[in-house]
Formats: sequence, C-alpha cells, structure tokens
Amino acid sequence: MESTLTEEFKAKAAHICARYPRRDAALIPLLAEIQKEHGFIAEEAMDALARLLEIPYSRVKAVTTFYTMFKRAPAGRYHLQVCRNISCHMAGAPGLLESLRAKLGIKEGETTRDGLFTLSAVECLGACGSAPVMMVNEIYFENLTAGKLDAVLEDLRHNRLKDLGL
Amino acid sequence: MENILLKDNVADLESYFASGGYKPLKKALALNPARIVEEVKKSNLRGRGGAGFPTGLKWSFIPQHAGCLRYVVCNADEGEPGTFKDREIIRKNPHALIEGMAIAGFAIGANHGYIYIRGEFSAEAVLLETAIAAARAKGFIGKNILGSGFNFELFVHRGAGAYICGEETALLESLEGFKGQPRLKPPFPAVKGLFASPTVINNVETLAAVPAIVEKGGDWYASIGRGKSAGTKLFCVSGPVKKPGVYELPLGTALGDLLEKSCGGMKEGRRLKAVIPGGSSTPVLTAEEARDVKLDYESLAAAGSMLGSGAVIVIDESQCMVDLLRVLARFYHHESCGQCTPCREGCGWIEKILNRLEEGKGSPGDIDTLYSVAEGMISRTICPLADAMAMPVMSFVKKFRGEFEAHAAGKTCALRTALAGKSEAEPGSAI
Amino acid sequence: MPTIKIDGRTIEVTKGTTLLEAAQKLGIYIPRYCYHPKLSISGNCRMCLVEIENAPKLATACSTEAAEGMSVFTGTDKVKTARRDMLEFLLINHPLDCPICDQAGECGLQDYYMKYSLQKSRFRQEEKVRRQKRRAVGPHLVLDNERCILCTRCVRFCAEVTKTSELEVMQRSDHSYIDLKEGKALDNNYSLNIADICPVGAFTSRDFRFKQRVWFLKKTSTVCLGCATGCRMTAHHNENTIYRLVPLPNSQTNTWLCDHGRMTYKAVQAGDRLSKGVIKNGLIDLEPALREAATRIDEAKSEAAVLGSPWLSVEDNAALARLAISALKTVNFCFEFSSGQGIKDGILVNEDPAPNTAGAGLLKAAHGGVSLEELSGRIASGRIKVLVTEARAAGLVKTALKTSGCRLIVFAQNRSEIPAGAYATLPYASYFETPGTFINYQGLRRRTNPAVRPADGVKPLWNVVNKLAAYSGTSLGLDSAENALKDIKL
Repeated sequence: MESTLTEEFKAKAAHICARYPRRDAALIPLLAEIQKEHGFIAEEAMDALARLLEIPYSRVKAVTTFYTMFKRAPAGRYHLQVCRNISCHMAGAPGLLESLRAKLGIKEGETTRDGLFTLSAVECLGACGSAPVMMVNEIYFENLTAGKLDAVLEDLRHNRLKDLGL
Repeated sequence: MENILLKDNVADLESYFASGGYKPLKKALALNPARIVEEVKKSNLRGRGGAGFPTGLKWSFIPQHAGCLRYVVCNADEGEPGTFKDREIIRKNPHALIEGMAIAGFAIGANHGYIYIRGEFSAEAVLLETAIAAARAKGFIGKNILGSGFNFELFVHRGAGAYICGEETALLESLEGFKGQPRLKPPFPAVKGLFASPTVINNVETLAAVPAIVEKGGDWYASIGRGKSAGTKLFCVSGPVKKPGVYELPLGTALGDLLEKSCGGMKEGRRLKAVIPGGSSTPVLTAEEARDVKLDYESLAAAGSMLGSGAVIVIDESQCMVDLLRVLARFYHHESCGQCTPCREGCGWIEKILNRLEEGKGSPGDIDTLYSVAEGMISRTICPLADAMAMPVMSFVKKFRGEFEAHAAGKTCALRTALAGKSEAEPGSAI
Repeated sequence: MPTIKIDGRTIEVTKGTTLLEAAQKLGIYIPRYCYHPKLSISGNCRMCLVEIENAPKLATACSTEAAEGMSVFTGTDKVKTARRDMLEFLLINHPLDCPICDQAGECGLQDYYMKYSLQKSRFRQEEKVRRQKRRAVGPHLVLDNERCILCTRCVRFCAEVTKTSELEVMQRSDHSYIDLKEGKALDNNYSLNIADICPVGAFTSRDFRFKQRVWFLKKTSTVCLGCATGCRMTAHHNENTIYRLVPLPNSQTNTWLCDHGRMTYKAVQAGDRLSKGVIKNGLIDLEPALREAATRIDEAKSEAAVLGSPWLSVEDNAALARLAISALKTVNFCFEFSSGQGIKDGILVNEDPAPNTAGAGLLKAAHGGVSLEELSGRIASGRIKVLVTEARAAGLVKTALKTSGCRLIVFAQNRSEIPAGAYATLPYASYFETPGTFINYQGLRRRTNPAVRPADGVKPLWNVVNKLAAYSGTSLGLDSAENALKDIKL
C-alpha cells in the first residue's frame, strides 16, 4: 500500500524531516499533513508512514490514538469543536452545545447526514478570556453568543467563510 | 509602568526593530555567554509556565564541554485551563520570543531551537513561522547571525492535542515523535533532553522577557516586582469580570487591584465567590482569601495556592463548586497520559464520584472518598498532572464542603434549584 | 561506590545501582509490577515507592540510584499507605474475575493484595472501565485487556528483546490498552515469555490456560533440548503429566525461553508416543522386537554400523559406543557431528538444532571411529548391512540409506519420528523421564532431571541397548547410566 503516499507528500516529508536530527521526529507533523490531505488518518496511511520513517507501525498507531487532534475516520466538512472547560463552562458552553445538538440534530462525536457538520466537545482551547469559544476546523470563534452562533452556522451552510479558509 | 512584553505595534519585524528590537541580540553576541547567564540569574527571572524555577539557574545547568549538541526549546503548548497569555505574546510580540530564543541559544551554546506550539494554535503557528522567516531574512536567525559567527536555526513544531505536552519532558517526547508521556527524572533535560542532548526548555513568557533583561540589565529587572518575585507577569483573567483579558503587571500586584482596576470589577449583578489564581491546577481561594492576596510566588504559596501560569479564573456566586470541579475532573481524566497508576486510575475515579454527586446519585461517604482518592494521587507520580487534579479537589472540598454535602444529602444542587427560572440556568440561553 | 542504609542496614553498592537492586541484595523485597531486571526502567506502576530520609516525596526504588549517605525506608506507614493506595487504584478497573482467570495463584494482583492491602474497595463495580475481553493474539497467546494493569512489560519486551515492536499502549488515560496491528499475529518465537512476565492475567498461554490450576503444579528444573543453546528451564507437572515449560533464568545461557523450546514437552505425552517396538510398520511388544533387531544385527556383525546422535545424552551415546565396540565389534561407528554453532537470532536460538553435538564428540574422543562422511560413504556403497542409530540422526545419512539396502534399526520416542523404510524401531525414555548429560555450544555440561515417569516398559536408551546386546549374546553390563560413562572424561 506504498501508493497511499504520493510523490508530492514524500517531497514535503523530506523537507519536514530535515528540521530534525532524526527523521522519525517528524512523525507528528507528517500525520498532520496526512490529515490535512485526506481529512483523516487511515490504517494504510499509518502503515505507509511507518515504512517511510522506518519505525514500527505500533508506534504510529499509538501516537495517532494518543493525540486528540488526529482523526481516524472522516469527519464532516466543518468540525465544530466547542470548548467545555471551566471558563467556557461558566460562560455558557453547556448551553452552546445543547443548542448545537438541537440545531444540527446530532450528538457530540456525530456528523450530520449531509456531511456538513461534525460536533465535538473539546477541552481548553487556550482562549479563556474570550469565552465561550468554538473552533471550526482550525479557525477560532470567540465571545460567542446565541446570535453569533446562529450567524456562524448560517455562514458555514452558505459557504460564506471561504476567506477564513473554511 | 511600561509593559515589557505586551506592547502594541511591534508585531512585525520593521516596527519591532524600529522600537529597539534585536539590539539586545546584537549586544548579547558581543558578550561572553556566561555573562548572559549571570545577567539572567541576577534578574531573578523565574519560569512563567507554572513551576517558577529560576531561569538563569536552569541555563547554568547546561554542561559546557565542547562538542556536545545543545537545544533551546520554547514551550508554547499553552493548555492550562484559564491560560491564554502565550497566544497574546505570539500575536502581539513574536519577535521578543524569537530574539529571546536566539539569546538563550547563544548563552548556552545551542545552535538549534524549536518552538513547540499546541496544535490548535494554527494561526499563531503561521504568525511565528512568518516572523521567523522575516528574522532570518534580516540575519537575526540562521547562519553567522549579525556577523558574529554564531548560528541559530529555529523551527516551529506543532503539537496535536495533548495537555500533558506542557510538561517539559512530555513535550520533548512529543517533539521527538512519540506519545507525550513524561520521562523519569533524573536525568533532567539540562543533562539529557531533546534527542538525548542538553536542553533548556522555557515558557514563551520567560523567553520573551530575556531581550529586555539583556538590554537593561538584570538589576533593572530584579527591581521590578516584589522580593524574589521579580519582573512583570502576564495575568490572564477569565470569568464574570467586566473586562476579562491578559494584563501585564508587576509581580506582587494585589489580586483585588487586578480584578477591580484592570478588569473593571465583577459584571453587573455578580458577586465574587472564589478565585483560582494560577490556572486550573492551583488550589482555589475563597473570596475572603482572595481579597488581600498579592500575586507573586511567595504570597500565593503562603495563602496555600500557587502563582502557576498566572491564569486567574474568577468564580461568582451563581456557580456550583461541585459542577465546576466536575468540569475540571473531566478535563484531567481526559488528559492523563495513562502512564502512572494513581493518575490514570484516580482521575477517572474522581470524575465518576463528582458525576454522581452532580447527578444527585451520591452518598455522604463520597466526599471523604473523593478527598482521600486525591490524597492518594498527590506526589506519587512521574509528573505533576496527578497533583494538578488532586489540588483542586482537595481545596474545593476543604473550602466548599457545604456545597458537596448538600449535593450528597439533598441529591440535587441547591444552587441550581435556586437559580431555576432565571434565564441563565436554562439550557441554550446562557450564550 | 556509594554506601547507603536500607531499613537501618548498611550496604555498599556499585555506582548506578538502584535502590530496588540494593534492597534485593540485602534480601529486602520491594513490590513491583513494571520493573523487570532485563527490561528498561519504566517507573509507571508506582508500586515500589520507598521513603528516603529528608526527601519530601516518596521515590520509586526501581529508578532511583543509590547515592552516598542515603537512608532508605521500605516499611514506614507512608510507604505502606502508598502501596495500599496503588493496589486500590490498580484494582478499581480490574474485572476481579479470579475464579475464571488462569493467572490465579501466580497473579501479582492477588499476591500483593494479600500481602499489602486486604482492603475493601470503595469503587462502585458498575462504574468500571470496560475494555476488550479475551482474544487470541498469535499462535501462543490470549490477551485480555480488561485485566491489564498497563505496566508495559510486554511492550518493552517486544521492543527491547525481540526488537519486533508489535505491541504498544494505544489511547491514553484509563482508556489505554495494549494492542497490535489488526490482523497481525504476535508470533516472534519468544511470545510465551510475555505470558511469563505479564504480572497479571492479561496475557496467558493458549497452550497452558485452563489445563491446570497452578497451585497443583510441581516443578522440576531441567535443560531444554530444543537446540545447542541448552537453556535451563523448569518443567511444571502434575500427576505424571507435564503442563508447561518456563525459563529458569541464569547468567550463563538464558533469561528467556523460545516458543519452540517451550513446546518440546509435547512429544513426551503425544498420542503417537511409542511404548512398544515397531517392525516394518507393525507394532509388537518390546521383547520380540528386540529379538528381531538382534537377529538382524547378528546376521551382519562386523558389517553392522552404529551412528551416535547429537540428540542423545552423553550416557546414551556411550551405551551405543559400547554396543559397537563390545557387542558388534565393528569399526563402523561414528560419533562425530559437525554443525555451525552459535546464536543465530541474536537471542537464544542456536544454529545447531541438536542439543548435544559437543557431548557426542566425547565418544569420538574416547573411542575414535569414522567420520560421518566416511560412514555415509560406506552405507551408500552397500558395505553396511545394518545401521543402528537414533531416529533424527538417521536423517543425517538419509541419502546414503536410500538405495543402499542397509537395514535401519532406530531408537525413537514417537511414531512420527520413525524414518521411512526403518526396519525395526525401539522405544526409549525421553529426557523428561530420565536423566541425561548434555553439553551445550559453549561447553557447559548440564543434566536433565526427570519430571515424569515413562510408560510401563519404556526404558532409558542405555538400558534398551543393554538388552539388545544381551539378545545378540553379549553382556555389556550396563546397570546404570553412570556405568555407561566409565571411559568418558566429562
């Protein structure tokens, strides 16, 4: 299944590996690259990456399952990640999540049937001064209110946040 | 006083340079590296990530025999709940960090540096990469910096979602491409760190303070603050205050002043109940205790808590302490790396007891069990994550035992009942 | 050379010695799960916490090096409380399925609970973390993740000893579990060591599980005859049945035992074990079989040959030498076997598959004889009418035998061993049933100890040889194994 890694990826990998005295140190950035390319990290990709870096598959799998940002299954186009830690909690994160569950008809960990949204509750996103906070893919939305949340959802539905990279 | 770290209009290289930036680097490169370490020691700068270890001393542990590779690593894995200061530095003053790292590299003889930034901060990672590229283009980073013959390469390394990587040895494991599981110490990173080489690891805020210290001298920095707590500190205030945010203030500032003067006091209609002064891991203070306490390492230790990362989490009377502790327990349970027995098993156990209390399924014995489980975890693990769970549990139970007992006996949250009908307690309407 | 005190007793240790090792030298046992003397230090189980004078925290004895003047305490209240707490933590998510767990009786959790805890759990049974229950992982092991205490001995074993790295801890927190690649077998020829070093019932042996409760087992130390390495091992047996073989760690040959070696006991109690003679594929009683074999030998006399065997003990080879020299009075005998020797997999497996090439060589030294090549030549040329040897040794001259017309009289333990075309087969006792001396590739002399009794009528090979000689009219006077060794310098 060597084919799962494109020549383009391998070139990028070589570039990233060069930052470290040991190539295998690039494992986490390379997993992130795979996820960026495919939306998730498949078993075959882990296997191919293990071979590329000449490390055991078990290590790749262990690392992939250890870090929460790595997905092992495809998610929706927009991954809504609502912070539920203390500052956001006090600022209304439970209500935010409740409202998203109701609006999207899904629970945490699920994806809407149209494949547009995946909902997750996540731990502290490091933006507590502007709680409550939600991350959509890699973009932060801070100081959320009910109105703002609705607006974000609408914008996403209509693909109006392209400028943010969404 | 003037801010050292949080400055406006220095985010890009040109303006940073125009305001005197990278002069300290030039000055440093003309000095004997040992002099720089001395100056940092003299400044009394202490680690701003949470542990407060003297920075100059940390640097002086790096073995100086020839021929060994050394590394400078910046801990930008900002993840302690309540903390959002490093992000602010990276956004507003990234070159202070880059310059601080280059100076640190020169001081300890390291030619390579890595900034380990939490994976979620993708915008900040891009900011840093752009800033490093700009610094490289001007010869502040790279080969033969400013004609000094000193080489320093700097890379940004993004994490992938693990609070534990804020622990320095877990961070090194992660940087080497492994699971972020803390290492046994000794050996300490200064002796055997990144890629088994001597390594200095400092927090963003610590490193960003270095250029000013080099420029104005250790004595100058030491004169700011209070006693052994020298310099300014970034305080991250979250919770129901009028103006939450990051404030740079001298250490030793009264907590009351931070909340009243800087943050404009509590939001309308909210009354202070408690403060977690240094990030979610530090013991909670009651409103009473918080009133007069000063924000520095010694004063907070004397008050039974810690300065930690400077994350001041403000809690008001509308909050249920059992509920908040449950939120913290869920977090530590989620983030335990799973290596040490007490942390791996204890965090989950604590969360389960708290869930039960919160759901009205608890029993009176649960409170003592909760406390003793925390006691069983403390000081018995490789890294302090177990303590970070145990300390809030023990302080919450000690100081707000009444609320826990009410949950255990009343089978429901009195506060929630009292608040029922008020819009804030309604699901969905709090935002 | 730091000098330290442990529980008030002074000991001087070499630099780098850990507190756990120092305590061990004093005979002070410190409980541990993740520590293993042959694996890297992990320090994760926190069971070995001890108190060091003037230290604010308890320290793990497994990872703390002795430093000059240290005073260590292993039995203070603080230490005892810590141990009790660790056990409570380890047990909260453990299924407590001891009645159906095959580890019972040799389980680290059971043993330490009895010794260091005896406390009632305060954890609610229904809140336990559930993990994957038993499943076969590879040909030899069953993995029950729910019983696992995540000490990572298995992970480190595969990374450091076999260097195959099949196993890892996946996920984190109390959701962590041991796993390997889906669809991949844990089959590295050392996998059963994992069942040994697993301190709980997470990894158990597919071969052994549910065969016998361990407290019924008796133990006999002996030698593995799986190859020329000659590992020391212990046979676990009960009521004349062997149930498993485990390594007997020693500094000379082995800490571990390979999977191949562990299965060598199987043949002893296999269904095709011979207790009678075989003439041309037909089973007959031993006495008539001996008589028939003797008759064929008598026909050939000096045209008969004896080939010793590197699979037989020195004693049994000596008996065969006597047969050749005193009874057959033939010059056609060979005790010279050559094989590449040395560890071939970097761990234990020897290039020489036979356990006693060196031991057989002693007979050559004492009595001379011809080379294997020479003997093969003589057989192939038809000059040998009858060859007496052991079944596996017959394989060494297989090609020569093919068209030679030579009658083959072999000693075999199992029917499956009998070479095609053998004329007569005589049974003999296995070295799990009778003592024997073996010399490994390093020249180490080791003796097997009988763990079980042979079936009625099955005798040691030297004894069968003695009878064979008697049937052919010569008394060899072999009344003991030692007797056979008379002329041999061991």
